[in-house]
Amino acid sequence: MSDLLALAGPLAPYLVVLVGFLPSEVWRQLAVLVARRLDPESEVLAWVTAVATALLAGVVAKILVAPGGALAAVPALARIGAIAAALAAYRLAGRSVLAGVLVGEALLVGAAYAYRP
Amino acid sequence: MTSRRIVARGILDALALPAWIVGFSMLGIGGLARDAGHPVGAAMLSTVLVWASPAQAILYAGLAAGMALPAIALAVGLSSVRFLPMVMSILPLLRRPGQRIATQVLAAHLVAVTLWVESRRRLPDLPLEDRVPYYFGFGFTLIVVSAALTGLGHLLAATLPPPLAAGLLFLTPVFFTLSLVAGLRGSADAVAVGLGFVLAPLGTLLVGPDMDLLATGLVAGTIAYAVGRRARARS
Repeated sequence: MSDLLALAGPLAPYLVVLVGFLPSEVWRQLAVLVARRLDPESEVLAWVTAVATALLAGVVAKILVAPGGALAAVPALARIGAIAAALAAYRLAGRSVLAGVLVGEALLVGAAYAYRP
Repeated sequence: MTSRRIVARGILDALALPAWIVGFSMLGIGGLARDAGHPVGAAMLSTVLVWASPAQAILYAGLAAGMALPAIALAVGLSSVRFLPMVMSILPLLRRPGQRIATQVLAAHLVAVTLWVESRRRLPDLPLEDRVPYYFGFGFTLIVVSAALTGLGHLLAATLPPPLAAGLLFLTPVFFTLSLVAGLRGSADAVAVGLGFVLAPLGTLLVGPDMDLLATGLVAGTIAYAVGRRARARS
């Protein structure tokens, strides 16, 4: 697979997009085929939903614990603290996702300025 | 109303707010893509084709962490299974006699969390013949605005001063954390989110960066499913 990508040269990232596209799209189009035959309340789908939810939480944790680029320069404690503050603001503002994002971002960018290398 | 005016209504309704909410989360994806060393065109193409910010976050965070491509594909596949029930519940709202298969294929591709939520809220109030043009006007607007903002995020990550670039990369984790918490329905969801969050960093140490997300999803998801099943059995 990596040989194939080396052959593609600068076009390789466009091929890699297919690694995101195909495994996503297959479920949407499968739904077109089976729309009338599968029970949306089935046990298999309940399990799959739980796995997908855990996977997404895992992605978030991975980005927070081992981020790349400019986020890596911000101390881990500030990154976790900003998430905790975002959750608190979300609750206090009556379950407002926007309020949570704004408070979390303000805290993180503030910390990033304070700890500028 | 003519179908062109219905399409325009879909476009305007999407621009009123929903398109900017999705687009906002795509700013962060553009930053992640740049972080993984991908050009702006590939980042924008990923929004048009993949059209799922969790899947794109897995793709680009995975690439940046050196995850193998087959493992990324498997993790993306698992994260996108939710589209199966989502598309299945949208298509009946759009179905008309003699509808072409191409219409359904394209309608299915546009489904993502925002369009799913908005369609289930808005479509039932529309006359049957207006639903498809309204849906396509709305859905295409979401995707076009999102692709543009993905590109903007990619460019901003390169030009912003480092603290603001850090804030851009932080958009994805903070937005997903809050969406996950806002979407909690019952004990299975809560266990999946909590365990997934804790197990992923442990998984990196235990099974390495290739399989950690998959292992986390399968272990935490299965435990969460079992907990949810017991809770349902008791109630």
